Amino acid sequence: MTAGVSFVSVLRCAEAIAEACALGMKYLPLIWSGLWRKPGRTILIFLQVAVAFALFGVLQGLKTGTARAVADARADLLIVHSRLSSLAQPLPLGLLEQVRTVPGVKVAVPVELTGGTYQKPDQGIGIVAVSPDEDWQSAFTYTIAAEYLAAFRESRTAMLVKDSVAEKYGWKIGDHIPLQFPAVVQRNGSNDWAFDVVGTFTDSDVGGGRYIVIVNYPYFDEARAAKKGTVNHFNVAVSDPQLAVQVADAIDARFVNSSHETKTESLRELNQQSIQAIGDFDFLIRAVVGSVLVALLFATTTMMVQSMHERIPELAVVKTLGFTDRAVFLLILAEALAVFVAGAVCGLLLATLVLPLAARFVPGLSMPGIVLALGLALGIFVALVSASIPAALAARLRVATALAGHRAA
Amino acid sequence: MNFFRQFTALLSMSLSGVRQRVGSVLTIIIGVTSAVAVLVSMLAMGSGARRQVLAGVREDRVVVNTHGASGIQSTIPRDQADAVRDLPGIKKGADGKPVVDFQSIVIIEARRRITARRTFFPVIGVTRPPFADAQSELHLTEGRAFRPGLHEIIASTPCDRQLSGFAIGDKRPIGGADWTVVGHYDEGDVQQCVVLADAEILMSTYNNNSYTQATATLESPADYAVLQRALEQNPTLHLEVRHEAEAREEGIKGLHNLLNFAAYFVGSIMAIGATLGAVNSLYSIVDARRREIGTLRAIGFGSAPVAASILCESILLALPGALLGVLLAWALFHRMAVSPFGFSFLLDVTPRLAVIGVVWALAMGLIGGLLPALRAARVPVTTALRAT
Repeated sequence: MTAGVSFVSVLRCAEAIAEACALGMKYLPLIWSGLWRKPGRTILIFLQVAVAFALFGVLQGLKTGTARAVADARADLLIVHSRLSSLAQPLPLGLLEQVRTVPGVKVAVPVELTGGTYQKPDQGIGIVAVSPDEDWQSAFTYTIAAEYLAAFRESRTAMLVKDSVAEKYGWKIGDHIPLQFPAVVQRNGSNDWAFDVVGTFTDSDVGGGRYIVIVNYPYFDEARAAKKGTVNHFNVAVSDPQLAVQVADAIDARFVNSSHETKTESLRELNQQSIQAIGDFDFLIRAVVGSVLVALLFATTTMMVQSMHERIPELAVVKTLGFTDRAVFLLILAEALAVFVAGAVCGLLLATLVLPLAARFVPGLSMPGIVLALGLALGIFVALVSASIPAALAARLRVATALAGHRAA
Repeated sequence: MNFFRQFTALLSMSLSGVRQRVGSVLTIIIGVTSAVAVLVSMLAMGSGARRQVLAGVREDRVVVNTHGASGIQSTIPRDQADAVRDLPGIKKGADGKPVVDFQSIVIIEARRRITARRTFFPVIGVTRPPFADAQSELHLTEGRAFRPGLHEIIASTPCDRQLSGFAIGDKRPIGGADWTVVGHYDEGDVQQCVVLADAEILMSTYNNNSYTQATATLESPADYAVLQRALEQNPTLHLEVRHEAEAREEGIKGLHNLLNFAAYFVGSIMAIGATLGAVNSLYSIVDARRREIGTLRAIGFGSAPVAASILCESILLALPGALLGVLLAWALFHRMAVSPFGFSFLLDVTPRLAVIGVVWALAMGLIGGLLPALRAARVPVTTALRAT
């Protein structure tokens, strides 16, 4: 029975939509002329809708974009750091051999991190020192051309630079670049270092830092005066991504109760934690989007009610010609839908164009299709809500009173 | 004079008609209110973060750290400590020793009380007892200070409020040793969890032979130059000195800029939306009054006073929106605790932000009123009279 009832209601719904569409096609010229009755007003409403949805797109893109960046982060890439403090607490290089013998570990690479500056103290560059062992790049999120990898292995003072660094400072392959490492003193007492650019790379990890370079760890460790033989962490690629959690636990288990207990986490977990901070903005994003939509709803509703009042004589004529109340209702709704859908599409497109620029300031911005769909649905919703009052007023218009020049109550 | 009289007459006329145009008027006010409220409350984040970081900053206090490095990147080797203490310009305490505090900073992870999310807090090992100075900004609220040479820590009150495991008597593992929480302290409105311990014990736990940075109190603020010159002339030290305010502000610069960028970005877009709404509403107000304006023009009112009165009406309608927006931001968000990027602070709606909000609203009113004012000024006398 219930199936029958729902089937009938579905049919009714489909019928109504079909009717609306047919009406839309038939009365397209009428809707069109209604829209351009006051071009200035229509264009302003359109712009207002476009601006509101551009903002919606950017804010929602921030939210979903970062969530997606976390989901995309590699779960099969493990970071082994010290349990004492996950930041700036060194591990001895000697642990590497033990890490490598843990079953499921495919590649383990020692990584040392420090901060460098180029020419000016405010031009900071993240220094990633890695040991160029066989297949080391598989334990990183970097994409590096084969010839650059070979060149990096050959020279001890070689440096691979991220494309954004090369672009910012105009470095080319073969350049000899002086850098200052404020926290790392060379054996000769100097903070000045220099490396040769041998290639560029890109990084698929949004949390990986914007300005980073890769240098040779054995050379770096040999040349520095302090903290010799230590690393910040080990990067580990596992042979089977399904077993990443077990491998992480096995690594930590190997060093339990030793003087260097470790904590192993996947890149996805790490990104999740660093991006969680944006979760604190969820409330703010919702508040802003909410207030934008309320202001928009109010503005367009009053505007449409006003325009309806101005059109009372026209609508009365239309009704006299035989239009039903329902047709007039749909007519007004269709006009609003046309403006809102056009405005929402333009606004969301604008946001899509602007986001790559904003991504320079906030990593991880992107505009997944779901945001576009959500925005469009929201646009239709706001259009229907704000047009329903004027449409209902128009539908209830009594022809005789309207023609007599009285205003609707 | 004539202009002015006509203008005031027109303005009082349009304002007395506000009740007939409730919809349009409310559209302007609501649009401006939401734009100003969002702008002011977002700016309140940046100003709140800055206010907290600069809380308790003293003009006669300086921070010494590695040249070109800041935060936990800086290192001062233990064997350079005496050289730093002997620098000129530093005040001598009651015990006759220079007032210099060496700090060793370690970042430790903890769990939030409610969400159990991971967050980080700094443990600062200090060489001077924290409540020694009479004018110290720190106040012990519960328990006692840590005893030098023991694995004891004192935590700021936000630690206990936000994070688990900070009650008096709790033991926390830091650097492989168990540390006992022996006291709580507070520092004004500061919302960030900071834990203090004895520097020597902390450094031996971490096998560390360098302090992170030092803070020193000067004889007088003018001695800054003396200290700076002395450091520059001593190349073996590789250190630099900065005013406390400058050093602390640098730590927050990135967050502050990011928050302000976001505030002005979102605020501008909302302002554009509100302005468009105002233009539309004013256009319809002008259209509704075409006949009235035409009549006024016919009996001798000039077009300039007509335009000016519309512009002024637009600004006057934006003003309540501005005040309402500022009030809303203040009522909802002032002193609300937030912790974006793991940094906790209170939102701060300052008078300066209120002024920015009002100026912003006036700009919306002015820009929004320009075109409708021009249209009103150009209403031809004859067509207006003929209009139905």
